[in-house]
Amino acid sequence: MEKKILTEQSLYIGDVSMPKNFEINRKELAHYILHCKLTGEKYPHSRTQDMLKAYISENFNLKYKQKLIYKETWGDIYKPLQITPPISNVDPVDLRHSPDYTMLYGVEVEDCIVRIYYDDNRRKGRSWDIPLENNKFIIFPSSNTYYITNNQKDSLNFVQTTTYDHTGR
Amino acid sequence: MVILNNTRNKRFNLTINSLININEGKQMAHFAKINEENIVLTVVVIADSDTVNPAQNEDESVGQIYCENVLNWPRHLWIQTSYNTKANKHYTNNVLSEDQSKAFRGNNASIGNTWDVENEIFWPQRPYTSWVKDVSTASWVSPAGVKPDLTAEQAAAFSYYAWNESGQSWDLITS
Repeated sequence: MEKKILTEQSLYIGDVSMPKNFEINRKELAHYILHCKLTGEKYPHSRTQDMLKAYISENFNLKYKQKLIYKETWGDIYKPLQITPPISNVDPVDLRHSPDYTMLYGVEVEDCIVRIYYDDNRRKGRSWDIPLENNKFIIFPSSNTYYITNNQKDSLNFVQTTTYDHTGR
Repeated sequence: MVILNNTRNKRFNLTINSLININEGKQMAHFAKINEENIVLTVVVIADSDTVNPAQNEDESVGQIYCENVLNWPRHLWIQTSYNTKANKHYTNNVLSEDQSKAFRGNNASIGNTWDVENEIFWPQRPYTSWVKDVSTASWVSPAGVKPDLTAEQAAAFSYYAWNESGQSWDLITS
C-alpha cells in the first residue's frame, strides 16, 4: 500500500529570535500601524520590517526548503473585546494574484486568539485556535479563512499581516 | 547621479553594483550570513570595493561592517566565504588552480551549512550519521574510507558505489 500526499494544510508557528541588539522594534511597527490607520497612508517600508521579512523567509527556506516570496504587508488594530468578521486574503475572482501564505505577527498584543478554519475531508468548517503573542508569528495558507479576537477589555491589539507566494528552493 | 542613502536603496545599490561588477569582470566578495547556532542562512555577494580598508587592502571586517549596515544583521555573524573553494581545494573556472594557497575556509558556504569556528571551515550537511569530519579535506568521510574506484567494465555497465549505512560499507550497484 502506498500513500501519496496531494496537498496539505500546514501551520507554522514560532518566535522571531533575533541576535542581541538587533531585536525587532515592535514599538516602531505599532507606531507605523497607528499612523497608517489615522492618516490612511500606505504601510511604510522600514528597516525593522526588512529585518522581519528576512528572518521569516530565510528561516523558512532553511527549515522547510521552500521560498516565501514577499507580496504585501499591512497592519491592523483591534479594539478591546473586538471579534473580526471572517477574513480571507484570497480573492476568489483573482486567484492568480492572490497569495499562497499569510503571516500574522504579534506587534503589541495581549490575550489575542487567531481562529483558523479548515476542511477535513467531508468534515467542513473545522477550526483551530492559536494564541498570538508578542513577537510571535503564525503562517498559514491564505485560502484558510480566519478571524482574530481581542479577548481582553483594557488595551488595543496591534497585528501585522504579511502575504507571500511560495515556491520550492 | 542619484544619491541612494536609505536602506532600501542601499540594498538596490548592492544588487546593481554586483551586476556592474559582473559586466566589468571585477572580483566580488561573498559573505555567508549565519545564525547564532552557526548555521548558514543565506549568502550575499558584494563588491570587492566594499571590503577594502583605508590602506586599500581587502579586509573581511570592512565587509562585515558593510553587511551589518546594509542588511541589518550583526557583523560577527557575517563570514566571508570563497565561491571557488570546494573540499579545501581552489578552482579557477572549475579547473584546479595552480596556487592552492587561495583555498579559503574549506568549502563555498551555502544555505544549511555549518560554520566551524575552531577549524574555520564551512561544513555541508553530514550525509550519513556514521560519517566523520576530515579537516584536511574539509569533507565528510565514511568509516570505510573513500568510495572505491570503478573498473572500466563496471563504468561501462553504468554501475556505481552507494553507501550502505546499515552495513557500513560501499555497495556496488549494478543496473
